[in-house]
Amino acid sequence: MLLFRSEEHVERWCRAWSLPRGATLSPESAWQLARVWYSADRRARAWRRRTVDETEALLAGLGLTGPFWALR
Amino acid sequence: MDGDDDDLDFRVRAAVYDGVMTGGAAPLVDELAAQLGLARERVAAALERLAAGRALVLQRDSREVLMANPFSAVPTPFAVRAAGKLYYGNCIWDAFGIPAVLGADVRIDCSCGCCGEAMSLAVTGDALEPIDGVVHFAIPAHRWWDDIVFN
Repeated sequence: MLLFRSEEHVERWCRAWSLPRGATLSPESAWQLARVWYSADRRARAWRRRTVDETEALLAGLGLTGPFWALR
Repeated sequence: MDGDDDDLDFRVRAAVYDGVMTGGAAPLVDELAAQLGLARERVAAALERLAAGRALVLQRDSREVLMANPFSAVPTPFAVRAAGKLYYGNCIWDAFGIPAVLGADVRIDCSCGCCGEAMSLAVTGDALEPIDGVVHFAIPAHRWWDDIVFN
């Protein structure tokens, strides 16, 4: 995941790499996603990866729904 | 996996994260073995299990730690400075993950993925200071682990 100065720069990068445009978030939304995603202490014995259901719920809780954000 | 492996894997995972969080660098296999008083082979096997479970990402050939998300064990274009230490994120999402994990104020120095113009972001008091920009996710979520290094 990369940071760009603007949507125009995203479009330019996609053309240069011949990649379809993916999904974009504002820096603030990406920060909120990271805060929630990395909220658990990975040094803790009880830490484990989220299940698919848990991850989908996390994404949905941030409004990240639809085919791009689907995990299956 | 038996209970002994579970315990070993936890100890290795915790030691890796302790290393990156306190020192800014991921410990090498030999360093982990010395720190934990374990044979190198047992540490290497634990790292392989952790990688298979997607708890860590290992370097392709050396099998040293490459990623202990959100931290990168090697320098990347996403430099994160906190409390006088330098960390690296694997991508902009992981760069944001570092202040989340550390609970610290940070400055993130990176650049526009298109033109290379320097971009600097700051997280202060659990808030991202306003900045113009767009975060682009090139790969749909169900394919994130197809090539986690590219992603």
